[in-house]
Amino acid sequence: MTLTIYWRLDPAAEAHRGEPSTRRPNDLVPDGRTAANLRFDHYTQIARAAALTGFDGLFVAHDDQADDSQIIAAAVARSTPRLLIVPEFPASVGSAVYAAKRAVSFQRATRERLGWAIIRDGDAATRLRGADPIADDDIETRIEEFLHVARGVHGQQGFTFKGRFFEVENGGFEDPLNAASFPPVFLAGDDEDSIQFSARHADVHLFSPAEPDVLHERVERLDRLALEQDRTVAFGLVATVIARESDEEARAAGSADFVGSFDTVAERLSALAAIGITHFLLSSSPQFEEAYRVGQFVLPRLRDRFPALRAAA
Amino acid sequence: MTIDFYWRLPTHGCSASIRRSSLDRGDWSPASPFNQAPGLNAEGEDDGFRYIDHLAEIAKAAEISGFTGGLIPSFPNTDDPWVISPLLARETRTFRFMIAFQPGFLNPVHAARLSASLQRATGGRTVFNVITGGGGPAQLWWGDSFAHDDRYGRTTEFLDVFKGVWTQPGFDYEGRFYTVKDGGLPPLLAREALPEIWFSGSSDAALQSAAKHADYYLSWLEPYDQLADKFARVKERTAALGGEQKCAIRVDLVARPTEEEAWADIRTGFENVSDETRARWRGQATDSVGARRQAALRPTDARRWDELIIGPNLWGGFNLLRGGPALGIVGSYEQCAEQLSQLIARGADAFILAGTPHLEEAYRIGEEVLPLLGRAQPATLLQAAE
Repeated sequence: MTLTIYWRLDPAAEAHRGEPSTRRPNDLVPDGRTAANLRFDHYTQIARAAALTGFDGLFVAHDDQADDSQIIAAAVARSTPRLLIVPEFPASVGSAVYAAKRAVSFQRATRERLGWAIIRDGDAATRLRGADPIADDDIETRIEEFLHVARGVHGQQGFTFKGRFFEVENGGFEDPLNAASFPPVFLAGDDEDSIQFSARHADVHLFSPAEPDVLHERVERLDRLALEQDRTVAFGLVATVIARESDEEARAAGSADFVGSFDTVAERLSALAAIGITHFLLSSSPQFEEAYRVGQFVLPRLRDRFPALRAAA
Repeated sequence: MTIDFYWRLPTHGCSASIRRSSLDRGDWSPASPFNQAPGLNAEGEDDGFRYIDHLAEIAKAAEISGFTGGLIPSFPNTDDPWVISPLLARETRTFRFMIAFQPGFLNPVHAARLSASLQRATGGRTVFNVITGGGGPAQLWWGDSFAHDDRYGRTTEFLDVFKGVWTQPGFDYEGRFYTVKDGGLPPLLAREALPEIWFSGSSDAALQSAAKHADYYLSWLEPYDQLADKFARVKERTAALGGEQKCAIRVDLVARPTEEEAWADIRTGFENVSDETRARWRGQATDSVGARRQAALRPTDARRWDELIIGPNLWGGFNLLRGGPALGIVGSYEQCAEQLSQLIARGADAFILAGTPHLEEAYRIGEEVLPLLGRAQPATLLQAAE
């Protein structure tokens, strides 16, 4: 079994760090930073922290009040060889053909290190702020059409489709664009609808933390539904972590989905791996320093429990 | 007055010479020992490089040679400018990324967030080339079934919304194509400058849209009087709306030490054009007015290269040698500079230049042609060093 472990970059978190507009001039300490020092330098450091400490990938969170996940993904890609980079975004971004085209360009430029995490759109007011007056009931249909069209134009020439949200006539990428593989699609959700949807469309389905037996049940349910569709879906978990040298220190540091010593956290994650969860999407705050801490102290302990992981790394 | 000169990134592969149309740089043609940057070494193994690495070299060449930035074109079989620009953001310093895109393909509020983020990633180096034309089967290939004039209406509304959410907190909009309630970029993004907007399109619907939103009206090179008329018309119409429109020209150059060398390359290039290429360019369906104006030059019917000389140092067969506009400038460095000066006198405020191969020609034109324009200060330090 191979585990794939991702760090999650949240562009809205610690908004002051590296942010040029929040600098406060000081009459004692000279500030040599120029307009060329950017918040994106900080994003790149977080991404490189994940790469240097042995993570396999980097998710970039979507937040309509922060920098765009796909711009961040591309801006850090050439500084992080090896990492799979997975921007989270909703299907409201625009044309599905154009989204697929951009994905293919990313794949070609990065030796196929892109993933897509398609998230559901925000509430009705959020959607209207974003020029997206779609009804609640239509959101799932739009994601379905979005993925169908994107995979369609990627996978076949002469592709034609007319849906409610997307249409294309005689589409399809040509050589050399069609030689790049389509990015793995990550979907999430714990309810029955999400699980059924992922059975049809996800490459990796991400659960939120729950008791191991509850997760086990969901994993088996999704596995069965996917098999009925003649598909396989891999299982993942999205979790916040606080890991310290001892359980006491970790508890004193705050609350998270997994709180404990490096050994405790590694042990609990490996218990989930034992029920079939092979993708772990971890985050903690502050996201730069904690990437180093988790990467340096938790990941090796997980690797010890899974020799196959070491081979993969 | 200063004139911005942009270069161009070939997003569909490049050719090592204008004499042959084979795309022997990039992976748009099969890998061979003479093909650069296809991602494979001479043994056919992955060499770790990708076409983006070649594009990075061209962007840097343009930056080093004094260009403001480069146009990054978008067509069905190209790599995409919205991906190329952030990928290259951190390894360029002054190069401006001119992103060609069709507004209908992106949600306008999402596009504003993308753009403001790219401004933050590049230190304000984002420029737009908004394209709306095209049409025909290609438009349906992209998944866009809007009719020609509707596309321009949509472009106008797109830019209304794009600028509205960027500049006005609590922005409301009720249009034919877009509705927004209480929109607005977050403050850290909204404080970035709006990207300069370069607008293409030759029809009346396009001019109307450009008058409202464009900073630069961009045209392919056309016969000079025709172009001067068009620029005058655009500037007049914008002035009537209380604005000021700058005009820009996108043109290919073949600039050589002597005029004879330049025409010799054109001649060889023309003689290497296959009948198949000729037929392909003749047969393309489009509702683009600009493309029809170029086709009126009828380069695909010419039997001899010199039938296509339509004026001093002007050749009308470039679209046979590579995709794009027909008319281009051919001559010695001095003659090329003279043609550019004439165009400036007729109303050009900026240029997008290109030459094949894009990498070496960025240096050549930046070093040999651009310095002949205007009055350069003597490079005292370099003279002292010599």
